[in-house]
Amino acid sequence: MKFLALVPIVFPMALAAGMHFIEFKNEKHRRAYLFGGVFLNFIFAMMVLSTAQPEMHILKINDFMEIYFKVDGMSKLFLAMTSVLWIFTTAYSFDYMNHEGKEQKFFTYFLVTAGVIVGISLAGNIFTFYIFYEFLTLSTFPLVIHTGTREALASGKKYLIYSFSGATLVLLGMILLFSVTGNLEFMPGGVLQGFAIGKRLTAAYVILFLGFSVKAAMVPFHSWLPAAMVAPTPVSALLHAVAVVKSGIFALVRTTFYLFGAEAVKAMHVRGYLSILIVLTILMGSFVALHQENLKKRLAYSTISQLGYIMLGILLLNEDGLTGALLHLINHAVIKITLFFCVGIIMYRTGYKTIGEIRGIGKKMPITMGCFSIASISLIGLPPSNGFVSKWYLAMGGLQENRAIFVVILLVSAILTAGYLLPIVVTAFFPGEMERELVNKEPPLMMLVPVLMLTGITVVFGLFPNYILHFIQNISRSLI
Amino acid sequence: MKGPYDMGHLIANYYETGAIILFGVGFVTLLAHGNLIKKIIGMNIMDTAVFLFFIAKGYISGNEAPIIRSAKPASGYVNPVPTALMLTGIVIAVSITAFALSLTIRVYEKYGTVDLNEIIKMGGE
Amino acid sequence: MAVYNSYPLVIILVLFISAFAIPIFKSIKAARTIGISAAGISFVLSILTLMGVKENGAYYFRVGHYDAPWGIEFHIGIIEGLMGVLFMTVSLAVLWFSIYSIDHDLSKKKVPLFYTLVNLLVGSLLGIVFSDDLFNCFVFIEISSIASCGIVVVKDKKENIKAALKYLILSSLGSGLVLMGIALVYSLTGHLNMPHIHEALVSIYPEHSRNMLIAIGLFTVGLGVKSAMFPLHTWLPDAHTFAPASSSALLSALVLKAYVILYIKIIHRVFGMSIVGELPVLNIVLLLGAVGMIAGSVLAILQKNLKRMVAYSSVAQMGYVFFGIGLGTTMGLAAAIFQIFNHAFTKSALFLSAGSILEKTGKKNISDLKGVGKEMPFTMAIFAIGGMSLVGIPLLSGFNSKWNFAVAVIEAHRVELLAVVLISSLLNALYYFPIIINGYFGEESLEGKVYRNTERPIKELLPVIVLVLGVIYFGVSGGGLLSLIEAGIPALN
Repeated sequence: MKFLALVPIVFPMALAAGMHFIEFKNEKHRRAYLFGGVFLNFIFAMMVLSTAQPEMHILKINDFMEIYFKVDGMSKLFLAMTSVLWIFTTAYSFDYMNHEGKEQKFFTYFLVTAGVIVGISLAGNIFTFYIFYEFLTLSTFPLVIHTGTREALASGKKYLIYSFSGATLVLLGMILLFSVTGNLEFMPGGVLQGFAIGKRLTAAYVILFLGFSVKAAMVPFHSWLPAAMVAPTPVSALLHAVAVVKSGIFALVRTTFYLFGAEAVKAMHVRGYLSILIVLTILMGSFVALHQENLKKRLAYSTISQLGYIMLGILLLNEDGLTGALLHLINHAVIKITLFFCVGIIMYRTGYKTIGEIRGIGKKMPITMGCFSIASISLIGLPPSNGFVSKWYLAMGGLQENRAIFVVILLVSAILTAGYLLPIVVTAFFPGEMERELVNKEPPLMMLVPVLMLTGITVVFGLFPNYILHFIQNISRSLI
Repeated sequence: MKGPYDMGHLIANYYETGAIILFGVGFVTLLAHGNLIKKIIGMNIMDTAVFLFFIAKGYISGNEAPIIRSAKPASGYVNPVPTALMLTGIVIAVSITAFALSLTIRVYEKYGTVDLNEIIKMGGE
Repeated sequence: MAVYNSYPLVIILVLFISAFAIPIFKSIKAARTIGISAAGISFVLSILTLMGVKENGAYYFRVGHYDAPWGIEFHIGIIEGLMGVLFMTVSLAVLWFSIYSIDHDLSKKKVPLFYTLVNLLVGSLLGIVFSDDLFNCFVFIEISSIASCGIVVVKDKKENIKAALKYLILSSLGSGLVLMGIALVYSLTGHLNMPHIHEALVSIYPEHSRNMLIAIGLFTVGLGVKSAMFPLHTWLPDAHTFAPASSSALLSALVLKAYVILYIKIIHRVFGMSIVGELPVLNIVLLLGAVGMIAGSVLAILQKNLKRMVAYSSVAQMGYVFFGIGLGTTMGLAAAIFQIFNHAFTKSALFLSAGSILEKTGKKNISDLKGVGKEMPFTMAIFAIGGMSLVGIPLLSGFNSKWNFAVAVIEAHRVELLAVVLISSLLNALYYFPIIINGYFGEESLEGKVYRNTERPIKELLPVIVLVLGVIYFGVSGGGLLSLIEAGIPALN
């Protein structure tokens, strides 16, 4: 049954191919096909996760190259999160892409990416991870340039260049690591038992970190992300909340804790230098977000900043820090998807893209903007939202390392986050003197329901975080 | 030839020395001249030089050509291998020269000149 | 002596005899039938030979029942067997493809000539690979020179003649140097049979090291010219660009490789690492290989003509092979030979698909090819797979090849060179990806293009698909090939 792991990877790709051969009678049939397919894939994924045989050696090319899947805490976390969010995005995309056009192309690559993400979640060694990571770039590229305009192509080119450069660094790091340890498998605590931490291993770690941080949009490798906002909103939501950037973060977690191990990384004394880049990321992301008029770009820079939090939590190398980081991985995904979906709804209904244009829209789209507000509060980190819980643990982790400065940074950027999110809420609900005549323009249900459900998750995770918290704490404990 | 090349050796083996000088001449002619015919001539000189070298290597002074008229021990003959090989080599050189010359004729028909530098300048898809 | 022992000779004979037979029958159909069936028979024989060698180990085959060193011997080990299969597979695929494409490029009279030349070429290339006697190799080298110039000039345009002439002249230069090298080696040792030369060289090494250095230098430059080692590659862009697509495929994929194999044999079999290790030759080859890897790609980026770009890419890829040889380790050599396989399949697929695109759209420049992915989706897909393989996307043979080089570099304790390998693959992306992207995506590009408008029928694309399947196959299961190569290397010495 070990090939079970291949099912949720290959099935969506088969669906994508099938879309070209099946003649759909009408739009409804296609939607049913797509939604059913994605949902079925979710079931397959859950089946794989509950397997009794967590280690699946699929194909061994030689000592260096082996395709190997493993189900452990992290893979469960990532796969569950992405599969659920995929379902929401699929529903949301139906109406949105109807407006945008060329659904066939969109859903093809959408499905393929779904399969690739499963591969990333389940990868049991860094070689398998690398293969799917490369494929992720290839399968998301057509999504970025979906609209086909010159600007889209230019952004796509930037995306490719950044991604492949990062991947080359990753390959270099992988080879360096292999040359020392001969082992590329993900094991809790790392594979470096018995190896002295010399220059080569340190170089390998730093290179791997930098290579993966391209996708995680760390400064100075971040500029592909705002450029990619030219893509349709479901793509932005997917890229920014779920697939691409979180894959980069996931990679960093795997590298730091499952390849090198917390002890080894501590011994390398490179955390200081890397932390400088991360703090820069957190602060710069927030600052630039303050100046963005375009809503999607504002959210993009917000993502850059929030990913910095997670990376910081990882590098704290203690249990609370990691817990906070992993929690924020999930929370930020949910929150950001909600925020993007709301912005997308505004664009879909009114065509407005900037903060100036959306004056007073809250009156006409109360539900949408209400969800936006709740999500914003969560991102800022006010209780009782889920954002608060993750930030709390990050702060705890920082204090444990006797670095109060991190807590200060967290507070400062929380204020900045408020600074760039609250004006949107305020402008939407309090138009001041400029009353405008707008028809009630709430979006179709298929778009609204996912948003509502996601907002609900935000609230629920904030009030009852325990289940997820314990799950994550188990993972953290096993790694530190 | 052993050790540092002293003049005594070079003069004693004058065939080989001459062959190497010829080789150099041919090589330079092949590369330096723009005229295609001269290049082909240079190629021929170069090949001939190698043949000379090879055959000279096979020569053992005082011995006969390797044609059996009356039985003699093998040591009485010149080494037959190089001459046999060089026959092959000469044939090859002739064929390549023929091929090159016919191509040159075609080039002249199409481009109107046999100077390679000019032809390259003319380029053209 | 098992039956298969004689197969290598039979292969060469079959190919040569068919080449001579074709002009007797004037019709194109006869030419095709004879040419392709000869290639088919040789293909089968080459597989049988490889299987035999795998089972029973390397062997010597005396041609004409005269023992070496008086007679000529063939030495067939695993590497030679693999090369045999590789050459026959690629040439069979190219010949098959040429059934559909060659009419476009050549006048009717010349088509039978093409098939003659191809069979001569492949036969002589195999002769170079199989033969254990240096002068015998030289004869085959000359035959292949003429034949390869021939397949360039069989298309009767003026650029072709110019390109073929340049190729012929530089090629003869190379041959002349090789011949001088052989002469030098003969004057030192009195032997032409490789193992015998080796014994003799090893025993006289201390006094004659300078001569041996000169000889190796002659061989390096001579064979380097013929296998496009940077900076001796200048004939390649013209020859590979203007030749008909099938010819370019053969030139890039096979011709260059046979000379490299001979070079490897000379380094390891004739001289041996005990001698070569003391001389600086390998370092120079390594350096030139590394420079070629980068320079070839940089030059490719600057090209406007599609085929010319692919040709410069060949220079870069051959750089990898020299890089591997220059490392001087077994792993480096294995990586180099694996790259030979990789490049043969990938480049032939690239040239054939590029040729298709140029033929069907009538355009030559890359900038004119926007949106071609919609008009010729399958052909473009084949090109895309080939390009991605060279860039180093996993699951394709190019990635395995780069990984092998990386491992070889680390094993040889020269970790700095890793950067060269990786930079060069990244550079590949800079010129292959824009074509693929402009072909398939972009509103402006796709405007006005009709889907599958000018596509080749699948039947005609089959040979290229076979080649691409090879690329994927070696990507997914390259380990088997690699271990086979590693097993075969000791037999080289």
